[in-house]
Amino acid sequence: MEKLIDEFEGDQRELIHILHEIQKKFGYIPAQAVSRISKQLKISESEIFGVLTFYKAFSLKPRGEHLITVCMGTACHVRGAPMILDEFKRKLGIESGETTEDNQFTLETVNCVGACALGPIAKADGEYHGQLKTREVDKIIKELMNKKRNSSK
Amino acid sequence: MMKITIDGKGIELEDKKTILDAARENGITIPSLCDHQRLSPFGGCRLCIVQIKGWKGYPPSCCTYAEEGMEVKTKTPSLQRLRKEILELILSEHPNACLVCSEKNNCDEFKSTIRKVGEATGCVLCSNNGRCELQDVVDALKVDKVRFPSIYRELEIKKGDPFFDRNYNLCILCGRCVRVCHEVRGASTLSFTYRGSEEVVGTVLDRPHLESGCQFCGACVDVCPTGALSERAMKYESLPENTAVTICPLCSMGCELEVELKEERILSSKPSQDGAVNRGQVCVKGRFVIRDLVYSPRRILQPMIRVNKELEEVTWEDALDFVAQKLKKYKGKEAALMTSSQITCEDSFILQKFSREVLKTENRVSPVDFSALSAFSGLSQEQGLNASMNFRIEDISKANTLFLAGADLPVTHPIIWLEVLKAVRAGAKLVVASPHELSLNRYASIWLQNKPGTESTLLSYLAKAFLENDEDGGYSRMEGFESFKKSLDEHDFSLAYKTTGVQKEELMKTAELFKEGETAAFLFGMGLTQSPSGIQNLSVLWNLALLRNAQVFPLCQENNLRGVFEINQAYTGKDVSYDQVFHEAFTGKLKALYLAGPMPDLQKSKIEFLVIQDSFTSENIKKADAVLPATTFAETDGTFVNAEGRIQEFKKIVEPLGEARPDWWVVSRLAQKMGAKDFNPKNNSAILKEMNKEIPGFSKTSNAKLDSDEEVFVHEDEKGKKRFFPIRRVPVPEETSQKYPLLLSIDYNLDYYRNLSLTQESKGLRILRDSRWISISPGDAKKLKLNDGDIAWIESSSGKTKSLVKISDAVPRGMVRANFLWSEDSDFSVIPLGFSPSYKNHLLNFIPVKIKRGK
Repeated sequence: MEKLIDEFEGDQRELIHILHEIQKKFGYIPAQAVSRISKQLKISESEIFGVLTFYKAFSLKPRGEHLITVCMGTACHVRGAPMILDEFKRKLGIESGETTEDNQFTLETVNCVGACALGPIAKADGEYHGQLKTREVDKIIKELMNKKRNSSK
Repeated sequence: MMKITIDGKGIELEDKKTILDAARENGITIPSLCDHQRLSPFGGCRLCIVQIKGWKGYPPSCCTYAEEGMEVKTKTPSLQRLRKEILELILSEHPNACLVCSEKNNCDEFKSTIRKVGEATGCVLCSNNGRCELQDVVDALKVDKVRFPSIYRELEIKKGDPFFDRNYNLCILCGRCVRVCHEVRGASTLSFTYRGSEEVVGTVLDRPHLESGCQFCGACVDVCPTGALSERAMKYESLPENTAVTICPLCSMGCELEVELKEERILSSKPSQDGAVNRGQVCVKGRFVIRDLVYSPRRILQPMIRVNKELEEVTWEDALDFVAQKLKKYKGKEAALMTSSQITCEDSFILQKFSREVLKTENRVSPVDFSALSAFSGLSQEQGLNASMNFRIEDISKANTLFLAGADLPVTHPIIWLEVLKAVRAGAKLVVASPHELSLNRYASIWLQNKPGTESTLLSYLAKAFLENDEDGGYSRMEGFESFKKSLDEHDFSLAYKTTGVQKEELMKTAELFKEGETAAFLFGMGLTQSPSGIQNLSVLWNLALLRNAQVFPLCQENNLRGVFEINQAYTGKDVSYDQVFHEAFTGKLKALYLAGPMPDLQKSKIEFLVIQDSFTSENIKKADAVLPATTFAETDGTFVNAEGRIQEFKKIVEPLGEARPDWWVVSRLAQKMGAKDFNPKNNSAILKEMNKEIPGFSKTSNAKLDSDEEVFVHEDEKGKKRFFPIRRVPVPEETSQKYPLLLSIDYNLDYYRNLSLTQESKGLRILRDSRWISISPGDAKKLKLNDGDIAWIESSSGKTKSLVKISDAVPRGMVRANFLWSEDSDFSVIPLGFSPSYKNHLLNFIPVKIKRGK
């Protein structure tokens, strides 16, 4: 991680870029990263914390192997996003913002993914699933589990 | 010149300003909650909206600059309706029952005792009741109901930090605290965290302030318009009856304080918004420690004399008779006087006169001898330099490149730090030379991390780097340049890293920065001068500054060091050495000591007659034959001279406690009893008049009224030259050995007032920075099996003392940092220190020590 941060030359505008890189690599932003970035970019720790808690893309807790993000924006909401979310919660046995015990899945909500025409929409490991129906939820979860199996082979 | 109209009133504006400021200056009130005179426009609360002819919508007046011919309306019915609605929305997340209660006025009479609850759920339970801007705005807009449902955010009330509590359930997110912390103080401890309805002001990872780099300056508390941030000590107090203005005596900045009073007692102290030096800012000591200091249980309140081995309380008459009779026996070299640099100029003048005319002794010492100022003046006298010690604090913010050595500004010179920060924010480059990491390094372009004790070598290399590839700025024709340049020859760049720990590239980069910047400033504190090579360090700094035609800013320590220095200069020019007096106290050569200043433990000394004149007790009182209670700054009129050389007059704010009397009063009475004539000043101004005649530095005080707004500075004679001189190479500093493997570095935090250790008196300050702490690197701590808070013995070749371990990343391996105090907390036995005969008036900055776990 230190190497990753030190690669940036200390330009303060790179903050979000660095946070993305760390998030991608570790699945979350470890606390030590904040002080390291602070030293490298000369931005105070609290300002970094302000930025990283502003964006849902960053997490302070380790996320599961797979990330499912259900859009709860207005368009998705009126098209039944709450039902989709409930279905994910029921199938995974966790609340929004939590990670399953086996560390496989993290379920989160966002307020808009910018694809309102496709609502209700959910993102699974970066892949968009538009015009979702509750019965497709199970399929998405299974696909993700298979993906894991395939990649580990 | 620009003309606008606001509410039909024609207004002429000299320069660019916001509509809100223009309106306020012309007596037109526009309600606002997030705007603050010391902060940049924010546009958060939207209460200051106005209507402008030809403009769409309702622009916020705090963020809209006036333009020629603008017609602004501030009080239309639609604006009032909108403002009310906005305020109702703000109130929906703030306890509002009391604010809009119809019984509000009647309730006032009964609310005095119910403010001590754990959580404020209404105005009557809030410690900021009566000084809340939200209340003012609700009254001004006549809001009598809130039509939205109340939302209680259920945020935890943070009470874990010293000095103030944070209850963000009362926060209206105006962002003043975040902005003042970032914009003005540069601490950036606070930020907006989370988002939308979850947004809350917070610290990194929601840590306590103590663990987030906060220095507890209290600026956030002072700007908070609600009770979200509240001073804890005020919770049990009702509102002040009146306020008084004084000058803070706790460091050399000379901050103007506004002290809140009730029934002749000090409730709290706040920065004065109009303070010439501090302009609404102050540090933790001025903000939160003043009250503890004045009402310390360690105050001496009664004159005492030793009768049959016991100290007995007596009247002033008896005490002075006793001292006069005994002191008469000792004259000349048998007697000595120790003064303080924290008392007023007048006190200091009278004490000085007393030693000359009554004690007839040359043995006079004061902490001035150890100051950066004394070193600077010593150098300029020795070399015949034209080195002005006066400066203007605002000149610092005008510099384009700044060099700092030997002071941890946010702690030691907080207001100077704010000026440096202003410069950096305006694009200036800051270069810091320090062996250990400082919190301000975040703002430095370059941190030259030199090995401890190699300062003069580092500066010499820097001078060499300055000269390389430099177009001559005219300095080569200046006197002494060639010999100075030649004296640098010994420094070979190839050895730079090996000797100082700083790479050539860093030095060249620094030189490059100073080449680009038009105006440079060189700031140095006590850390640079307190070593046997202190004068050498300064010599190189002087030459370095000359290469850039820059001003040198000597940053002195104690509040009135400059004043006492000027008085001393007018007479002997030099005091005798501290070591000598201390040494002679133990050999028996010195028989009588008049102690009106700090002195290490004298209990085992051979002093026959010891008089202590102080505001606070110390261990030395056990040895004293007479104890004379002196007032603190709060109970006397007087003048201080701050680091700039600014002469500041202040008035008494409370009556003297107990039998305490101003130092000049005590000494004058005593002198009279000892038969001296011309020792009956009526009051302070009489003494100031006398000083005006006798002390060259005070010659400007006569034609200026000090209490008016006119600024008076110490008078400086034009003397000496601006010239270079050759520098001497300094031997490698004392190395650590196997026996003493660590290097102790002394910090000069100045956490003392006369004999009082501030961290001993103020619980909060002790939590923030206990003077008994030694900071050690995590690596060394691990090796020595030490944990945070452990007791450790620290031992040097001259003695050992106990201290508390504090593990810190900022300290490099092999180094230990400790705080230096002129008071009880400090154990001089480890610092061999200046008191060994081999060093004259030098407290060493770096001392080889070993550390052992203790109990």
